[in-house]
Amino acid sequence: MSVAYKSIQWNRTKIIYDLLLFAAIGIYLFLFTYSAKLVSPDLEMRGLDIRAFGSAAFILLHVILSIGPLCRFDRRFLPLLYNRRHMGVTMFFLGLIHVIGFNLSDIPVLSNIPYKADGALYWYHDFGNVEPIVSLFAGNTHYGSLVRFPFETLGVIGLAILFLMAITSHDFWLANLTAPIWKALHMSVYVAYAALVGHVTLGAIQTNRHPFLTIAVGLGLVWITVIHLLAALQERRRDRAVAPPATATDHYVDIGSINEIPDTRAKIVTIAGERVAIFKYDGKIAAISNVCQHQNGPLGEGKVIDGCVTCPWHGYQYLPETGASPPPFIESVPTFNVQLRDDRIFVSTIPNPPGTETIPARIYPDADGAQSYE
Amino acid sequence: MNNHSDSQPAKRSDDEFFSGYSRLPKGIKRFLLKFIPLLFVGVVLFGIFVPRVHDQFNPGKFSRGQFEGLLVGEPVPHLLVPRKGKIESGSQFSRYLLSGFSKSSVPAKVTDQIGKWVQIKGAAVHRNNLTVVATGGAKPIERPAGAPLQPEPGVPLGEFSLKGEILDGKCYPGVMKPGQGKTHRACAIRCISGGVPAVFLSHNEQGDPLYFLLADSNGKSVSKQVLDLVADPIQITGQVTQYGDLFLIKADPSTYQRL
Repeated sequence: MSVAYKSIQWNRTKIIYDLLLFAAIGIYLFLFTYSAKLVSPDLEMRGLDIRAFGSAAFILLHVILSIGPLCRFDRRFLPLLYNRRHMGVTMFFLGLIHVIGFNLSDIPVLSNIPYKADGALYWYHDFGNVEPIVSLFAGNTHYGSLVRFPFETLGVIGLAILFLMAITSHDFWLANLTAPIWKALHMSVYVAYAALVGHVTLGAIQTNRHPFLTIAVGLGLVWITVIHLLAALQERRRDRAVAPPATATDHYVDIGSINEIPDTRAKIVTIAGERVAIFKYDGKIAAISNVCQHQNGPLGEGKVIDGCVTCPWHGYQYLPETGASPPPFIESVPTFNVQLRDDRIFVSTIPNPPGTETIPARIYPDADGAQSYE
Repeated sequence: MNNHSDSQPAKRSDDEFFSGYSRLPKGIKRFLLKFIPLLFVGVVLFGIFVPRVHDQFNPGKFSRGQFEGLLVGEPVPHLLVPRKGKIESGSQFSRYLLSGFSKSSVPAKVTDQIGKWVQIKGAAVHRNNLTVVATGGAKPIERPAGAPLQPEPGVPLGEFSLKGEILDGKCYPGVMKPGQGKTHRACAIRCISGGVPAVFLSHNEQGDPLYFLLADSNGKSVSKQVLDLVADPIQITGQVTQYGDLFLIKADPSTYQRL
């Protein structure tokens, strides 16, 4: 929704979101250290930091991957989706610290705070007769065996994908890579998740067979799989919902009655394989593509606010008549011509190019505003 | 053309709409005020429980110290330190393995003194009865008064088939967690290839850990030949000799079997 890119467009929601996120991570890392020291008060903590940051990243990844499906089940989860990218970038940094460590004194303004966490690359692979990065890959090369499979490589694959996602997380890249390519790139988070489940299973769990770890990772995998399947099934059911017979006349199809659509809201229908959002607002009906140009959000689940269709994911806005974002914003989506025949809404099966102005169908055509069809 | 089933008229509560730049609608806020604390409860539970299930490490801190004893070179450099107090049973010596600092063997300054009584300054770590001292030098000394003239000979125990794992003698008793197993494999390989003594960990029927130095049929160190078997579950069949509370198993490394 911007023409000039800023590093982050802060607002109250994002600040609260990030504060809660960092507080949760801080509490986890603190409790991890504190709880480990209860096991043994003189425990050497540096090796444990690797576990603290690694497990924090892995748990956070489960939260991140849960948000999407949860939003499909209940829209009240949408505020969690709003700033999910900050969660993703934070998760990448937790994973990076797990590998390369972190020293607060490297940050000029924080150099007085004595905090240092050693990463696995330093802790396990340094001080030997080869470079740490060589040791990381040379320590185990049994790629042909499942039990002996180098879990380190799986971790590197996961982190590399998260790195690509983190550096392209800004809207600058979203606009320049285009939404479909960006979306495809960011769907590779599932490849990263698979690699990291392998990393944990063939690493930590294989070495430390305490049932809690195995059960927790197993339940996490089942949870992520099940909610994604259920969300996909729900989407499929919606797409397959019984429709009134398609009465294509002059490329127009009957998508239902005006009474089905609440004011300022939309009905989503699939026309010629594409989802179209038909909005009712100010006594008018207009149809635009259901796919937000920002992150492919479902515009039809949005609302008309201040005369603009507002995306439920990040609040991107489009004028319903033109499919264009109000100036100075430049995004636009395809529009669809609409006709009213009695109380039935007919939508053209042929989309107009993005930003094409259409004439919305008026529910109250009479001069005195008498309700014609309701 | 298909209809979407959720396009029915919304209930009043569903009409609330969140956009990031406006205040949270009441219903959504009420929901999040219940859900987010639940997430925090999860964070607290995980933060407390996850570190408690890591049960394979010991405190493992280096402690600086000075040790005097007889320096022995085979199969790996180690120091025989006379035990103090009553030693009615068991060995007259404690046996401390020696390594250099980092992932290295003891330097020539130490091995030059093999066969002599020496004083060693270094950093020691121990786990159960396995101790290793990292040191950079050894100073020859006179045999301390009252110390045994020479170590008692080893006691041959016969041939055994033992299941266990090869680990490096330094990280396992040291600061690494867990210091054994697959996650520690790369580190252990670097240590052993750098000259830290390899140790074979097995357990007796009671589950007590037993530590074995590895030697080939001629009693020579085999460390560099076993790198690819490090951290894997293996079985070694060979002649076991007991030196106090430390054992030596002699077997050709080519006969080690991966399980």
